[in-house]
Parts: sequence; C-alpha cells; structure tokens
Amino acid sequence: MYDSTTTRVVRGVLIGIGIAAALIFFLFPIYWIVLASFKTKLEVSSPTPLHLFQFTPNLDNYAVVLGLKKQGPMAAGSPGDFMGRLVNSIIIAGASTFLSVLFGTLTAYAMARFRIPGKSDILFYILSSRMLPPVVIIIPIFIMFTALGLAQSYVGLTIMYTVINIPFVVWMMKGFFDEIPHEYEDAAMLDGYPRVQAFFKVTLPNAWPGIAATAVFCVIVAWNEYVFAFILNSKAAVSTVPTFIAANFQGTAGINWGPIAAMATLFVLPVFIFTFLVRNHLLRGVTFGAVRR
Amino acid sequence: MATVTVEKMTKRFGDVVAVRDLDLHVEDREFMVFLGPSGCGKTTTLRSIAGLEKPEAGTIRIGDRVVNNLSPAVRDIAMVFQFYALYPHKTAFENIAFPLQARNVPKDEIRRRVIEVARVLHIEHLLERRPRQLSGGEQQRVALGRAMVRRPQVFLMDEPLTNLDAKLRAEMRAELKRLQKDLNATTIYVTHDQVEAMSMGDRIAVMKLGQIEQVGTPDEVYNHPSTLFVAGFVGSPAMNFLPAEYVDGANPTLHVGGGAFSLDVRPEWAQAIRQKATGNTFTFGIRSEDIALYTEPGPDRIPSEVYVMEPLGDVNLFDLKVGEHIIKAKTLPNFRLRIGDSVWMKLDPDKLHLFDMQTERAIL
Amino acid sequence: MADTAPTQTLRREAITELPPIAVRSWNPSDGWLAFLFTLPTMLLLIFVGVFPLIWSLYLSFTRFSAAKPNIAPEWVGATNYAKVMTDPSIWSVFVFTAKYVVIAVGVEFLLGFGIALLLNRAFPGRGLITTLMLLPMMLSPALAASFWKLIYEPQWGVSNFYIKKLGFAPIDWLANQHITIYALALVDIWQWTPFMLLISLAGLSAVPRYLYEAAEVDQASAWFKFRHVTLPMVWPLLLIALIFRTMDAIRVFEYPYIMIADQQATQTIATLLYRIAFRSWDTGLSTAFAYIVLVMIIAMTNLYIRYLTRATVR
Repeated sequence: MYDSTTTRVVRGVLIGIGIAAALIFFLFPIYWIVLASFKTKLEVSSPTPLHLFQFTPNLDNYAVVLGLKKQGPMAAGSPGDFMGRLVNSIIIAGASTFLSVLFGTLTAYAMARFRIPGKSDILFYILSSRMLPPVVIIIPIFIMFTALGLAQSYVGLTIMYTVINIPFVVWMMKGFFDEIPHEYEDAAMLDGYPRVQAFFKVTLPNAWPGIAATAVFCVIVAWNEYVFAFILNSKAAVSTVPTFIAANFQGTAGINWGPIAAMATLFVLPVFIFTFLVRNHLLRGVTFGAVRR
Repeated sequence: MATVTVEKMTKRFGDVVAVRDLDLHVEDREFMVFLGPSGCGKTTTLRSIAGLEKPEAGTIRIGDRVVNNLSPAVRDIAMVFQFYALYPHKTAFENIAFPLQARNVPKDEIRRRVIEVARVLHIEHLLERRPRQLSGGEQQRVALGRAMVRRPQVFLMDEPLTNLDAKLRAEMRAELKRLQKDLNATTIYVTHDQVEAMSMGDRIAVMKLGQIEQVGTPDEVYNHPSTLFVAGFVGSPAMNFLPAEYVDGANPTLHVGGGAFSLDVRPEWAQAIRQKATGNTFTFGIRSEDIALYTEPGPDRIPSEVYVMEPLGDVNLFDLKVGEHIIKAKTLPNFRLRIGDSVWMKLDPDKLHLFDMQTERAIL
Repeated sequence: MADTAPTQTLRREAITELPPIAVRSWNPSDGWLAFLFTLPTMLLLIFVGVFPLIWSLYLSFTRFSAAKPNIAPEWVGATNYAKVMTDPSIWSVFVFTAKYVVIAVGVEFLLGFGIALLLNRAFPGRGLITTLMLLPMMLSPALAASFWKLIYEPQWGVSNFYIKKLGFAPIDWLANQHITIYALALVDIWQWTPFMLLISLAGLSAVPRYLYEAAEVDQASAWFKFRHVTLPMVWPLLLIALIFRTMDAIRVFEYPYIMIADQQATQTIATLLYRIAFRSWDTGLSTAFAYIVLVMIIAMTNLYIRYLTRATVR
C-alpha cells in the first residue's frame, strides 16, 4: 500500500519474469505431448521438431483412441472402450478421494486437538503404510480381496485407493490444524457452541486450502495408479484408464506415440478441470486473510 | 505531542461505506474509546489510524504529521489486536522482544526492557512459555507487553477484552485503565461493551453506521445523550423509551405513552421544544434509576402495576405496566412488591429526556 | 447488571494456573469424538495392511517363487537378508538412489517454495496460472517418463535440437550412469516441483493476515517478517511434504524402468527390486530386500519426525 510506483513496477516485472520462466519449464513438455497427439507417427519422430504451425494437425489419433477408427497396431476394440474406462476412473478416483479426505481430515483434527493415548505411535503407523513398495504386498492383497469378493469391482479398488491416500491426508491436515489457532474454536465454544458446530463454523473455513490441496493430490494418485488397478480390476467392465494405456503402449510397429499422446491428453483433462474448479479454495489465503469477527 | 486528528475520513469496502466523513480529535494522553455495535465503523477507523487500511478521503494526523502516506511501521503506533496476534512459535519473551529485535536494538537492552515491561504486567514468570501454554488473560498481557515495550506515541486497542470471560474482563478493565494512567500515553480503545467504555474512557465516541453520534465524557454521554441511539446504547438497563405527544397552549402538556400519563411542561422546556423541534411527536426517555416508587398515590405520581420484579442483590429491578407500555425502574433491595401490586412512580423532572421523533436529536 | 458485582482485589494466582499444553479446551464429549474420528481410518489401515505385511514378512525368511506357487516355501532363516547385505552391487544401487533423491528432492523443495512465494499475491489469472503449473503432476509418471524419453532422444529429440541451435554439442542424456542421474532427476523435478509448490502455497495461504499486520505495526522489515512470521509457520508443512516426497523418491520406479531399462548397470532400489521379484521370481529375496529398505526408511523418517516435532507448535 505504501510502496512507490517504481518499486511496484520493478517488483511486478521481476515476479512476472519468474512466473513466466516457471510456466515455460512446466508447460513445454505438456505442450509437446498435446502436439504429438495431433501428429502422425513420422511427424513425431521427425529430425526437426515440428511446432504448432509447422505441420497439419489431424484427429486420427483421437479417432483411434475413441474407437472410431481402427489403426493396425492399436488394440482399440469397440467405440466406447476408452470412454468406458474413463468413467470407471472417474467413479473410483472420485469415491476414494472423497472417503480418504473425509476420514483423514477427521482423524487429523482429532490428532491435532484431542488427547489420545499413543498418538505419536498411531501417527507413525499411519505414515509407515506408505513406506513399502507396492510390489511386496500386491500378491497377498490380491488373494485377500478375491477371497472377500472385492476384486473386479469398484468397491475393492476404491478401498485400496482410500487406504493409499489416507496417510497423506492425515499428516497434511494435522499440519494444517496445528497451525490454525484454537482460540477461534475456544471463543466459539465460550459463546455456547458445541465443539462440532464450532468446527464447522470456525475451523473448517480456515482449513480449505489444506483440504483442497490434499483432495487434488488424492485425485491425482488414484487417477494414475497402475499396479493395483492392473492386479485387482483386470476385467474390462471395471478397469481404469492406466491399464488401457499400458496395454496399447506398444504395437507391432513400435510405440504408438500418436494414440498414446491422445490418450494422455484426454486423460489429464478431467483432473485439470477438477483442480481448476477448486482453485479458489486452494488459494483462499491472500485475498481473504484471517477470519475477521 | 501525541494527539490524533481525523478529518473528513471516508473508507469504502467495495460498495459498502464503512466510515463516512468522520471528524475526530483525540487529546494528548487521553484515553479515547470508540463505542458502537458491530458494523459501525469503529474498527475500520482504528485500523485506518494504524495504517492498516487506506481511506479513500480525509486526512489523518498523528501529532503534527499527516500520516496518510506513511506505513504503519513509521507512524510510531502500537496495536493490541482482538485475537492478540501473538507469534505462536515464539516464547512470551520473544513475542515482547519482537519489535525491538526488528529494530536491531542490542540484546542486553532488549532483555532489560522486556523484563521491565513484564514486571509491570506481572508476567515475569511466564516469559519462557509459548502462547499455547498461556491462558487468555496471560496472552492478552503479553500482547500488551509487546505494544508497550516500544513506548510509542499512540496505543491502539481493538476489543482486547472481548475474548475473556466476564470475571477476567472486569479485572482487566481496572488494570488497563491504571496502566494507561501510569504510562501517560494517548490511547484509542475500540469496544462494543458500554460498560468498558464508561469505566475506562476519558472520552467516548459513540458511533453508528460509519458516523459519530456523540463524543463526550462518560458523564456527558450518559446524562446528556445527544441522540436517541446514544441514549439507548449507553447504560444498563437501557433507558426507557415511550412515544410522547406535545400539546402547546396555556398549560403545555406532554402526553406520554399514548395517554398512559401526562406531564406538565415547564416553561424552559416549552421554549426548547418550540425552538428545536420539527413537529409535535417525540420519544420520551427516562432512566430506570431516575424513577422513585411509592406504595401510595400522591402528587405527580403515576399509577402503574407490577409486571415483574427481578431481585438482583444490590438493586431490585421492576418492570411496571403503564397503559400499554412497560417501564423499568430500579429500587433499593428492601423495596419489595408482588406481581399485580399497584405502585406509583415519580419521575425526576431534572432527568427527563425528549428526542425529536424525526431527527432523533435531543431536545431536553 | 451482572457487571456491577463488587470488585475484589486482583487474584493473581488464579490467572497464572498452567494448563497442560494441548488440552486447553477439553470438553467431556471430546473423548468420544476422538475415538469416532480416528476409528474409520484405523479400521481401513489395519484391515488392508496387516495380513499382507505378515505374510510377506514370513516369505522373506523363505525360499519361494511366486511363479511356482505350488512349490511350498522353504524356510531358510536369514539367508535372504544376508545375501542382500553382503552383495556389493546392491550397495552401489543404494548410493545411486540416494544421490538421486538428494538432487531431485532438494531442487524440488527450493524451486517449489520459491515459485510459491512468487504466486503468493493477488493478480489476475492467478487461479488459472497456478492450475497450469500443476499439470506436470497430473500426468501419470509412466507417460511422463515415455515422453521425456522422446525429448531426450539424442538424434531427433527436441532438447538436442535446441542445444545444437545454441551451439553446443548434442547430449546423450541416457548414455551412462553419470549423466543419467541428472536426466532422471530432471524428470522427477519437472513432475514433482508442483507438489512442493502446491503445499507451499496452501501453507502460505494459511498464515493469518493479522500476524503480518502485527509485524508491520511492530516495524518489521520484509525480510524480518519472512524469517520470523512466514517461515516458522510454513516450515512444519514443508517438512511433512518433504517426508512424503523423500519416501516416494526413494521408491522411484517408472522413470528408470522406462528410460534406462536396457542399462543393466544403472539401477534404483525399485527397479532392482522389480527385477528380483518379477524377472528372477525370487520372491523370498525380494521381500527381504524390501524389508531392509523399509527399515532404512523408518530410520530416516524418525529423524525427520523428531525434527518436525521440534518445529511444530503443539
């Protein structure tokens, strides 16, 4: 508010340059992949890289992916193969994210505010489930889930992803709750609100950046997960996109760069849209600041 | 000279005008209280004086300096926030030392001044604790200490006692007032609690909807409220209000409460009414302690019926039904009646208030 | 009316009672809530976690091959563990992975936090730009690895095209151990800096504005505010992000597997593990190896956590 105009302009320019540089670094490969989805196989591996206006984009790759056109090495069955799996991915990732954020946040709040015997041990146990490489437990899981009828279903994989994501949610949200001053809740409880209402009225609004961030991560993890999806949900009706991509990765004529790029682009879109939709929750702090009375 | 002058200040938040055309002068070493309900602009004014908000129009002066374009750091003010704003990762000592550290004051000097301040506030034994290990009252003293340690020109306090329980609040009121006198520093204090305002302020600025209704000493504001709002806001229980109609003539009379009772109007009142009133309808006001109660009728006594009696220990509070209206009256504890009993009220003629129905300004 | 109670002398003792730290506002119903809030999480984790862990632990003490499930596991005691710990080539895999983790996670941390500081202000399009910066993270790591391999292509990859244009000799990114580690780390950095970025941003957003206001009134400079207000409040979250990122980086699989699978010499822990488990099908050895890695990660995380507890306000 009190800086001179020159200071503000210079600072603005420097920050702008920094942000632009970061954007270029992060987006260039993405741009490259999206571009590849519109290229033919020859154009992808051309010795001079072909940028936006140096070739004629075509939608063949997308047609192949969506099953509308058959290309030799591409094992795209009927139209709707890809879309069907996309829907499965959305359902499973969405449900598991919702559950892991819900359970994880509640646990994190309890850990941050309440006296719990053996709290640090419990927290460590929760963290430890993320330390083992999945290859170690994949076979026992398969056996267990098949025996319980959870394999080849939405439920089993959703449970698996919820379990995978909960530790992150608990630790992240506990970190957030630790930093939110409990004076706010105390003041509300002094006014007569029971703790649960105080939580919704006072703590939750401050916790949105944390919740949004963890939700985005959970979605990404569940979305791109391959190992468990491959083992547990191999049947087409319940399978997710990552296995589809892997199955169609290589054809008789080498790697199917074009279709793969198209699948990657299509697959990243829902996650991007989701993140864009919650961006205001992610970034609350700066414009809204602390809770005023 | 640490005076604070605000001239024609206006502050907007989007479409909402929080403070409109405000004029105020705070004397050197005065304890000025901004009193008003939430949304009246008192905190916005305080924050603008601090430099945390920039007003769209108006001038703010501290001493002789115009500070509009100066950041808070350069205004030589200190502030105590409603939620204390203590740095959670620092000990009480470090919190109080913060402003000195920020100015690169040498370490031994810091130590000396922090301990001195802690001693005044009786928190020396708490200096190694973190804010989380302190009770509300203790945190508030640390926040006070942080403000005091720099010995600024002006202290600004934003409802510092609101988050304390009632008993602690009462104790802290007295302490704060004493502290301010000892420190001899200009202080501006924001609150919505009229008890705090009355007990602590040298002067009170009562605000409503972004404007000042009245500025005066507690006595002035209590006994000579200039608007209906001030009269109703200050004082507990609130002043009794009844509609009144004035009839001029040889024997000017005031018909109060839709005819519940009537009062003879003294000549000097009649003159005031003729000069200042816009019409013939008014709001009549009288405080509960200015009503004397009798068990028998008599001259100038108004009949009424006991609706409810609340024995409060040091006083009895009566709700009396007069016509269609209820009037509250205070008596000593030994005056006791039952519901339904008849009782006669005598209103102290020197303590009557009359407010113009249109402008809500005081006539009497 | 309640405020007109007669005043008493200030009772200082009452004000200075020290309550235990995290229990300031303990209501009787809180015990029940604590149990309820923690229950679903614990149920899920124990249900899915315990059986596989116990079984694989058992397997680590046997000679068994999942490829030949009909041949029963044969108890060999600590042979597998001994094999892992005495094999010199395994040590070099640990070193390689460690170097990789330090480089990748270190840069991600600094870069992520730095960019978050830039983004921590209001400007038009902030939401969109932030979301765009998160794109690399949204790709599946396998796809990222594949396309970066394309970019790294020594003959016709985009990277070398521009390197040649700038006048330098083309780089064979995946030629040997020494350069591969940077090539792999670059992919990791590209994909996971947004992770650190997002958490840093969320942490920065959560610092209450009134703390900055108080610091401003207290005449703190911008650097002083950063060091004494911002950093202490964001640090615990950064540390948590660091813990997770480190654990994931140690277990990195897709990048080396897809980009340098043909190089026998260069391995990370995860690719080696995969090779033992699913190429040699030596299930016993692979689980033993996995548990040794687990113990190492536990030891390291303990250090992190100890540091974290000191840095947090509890």
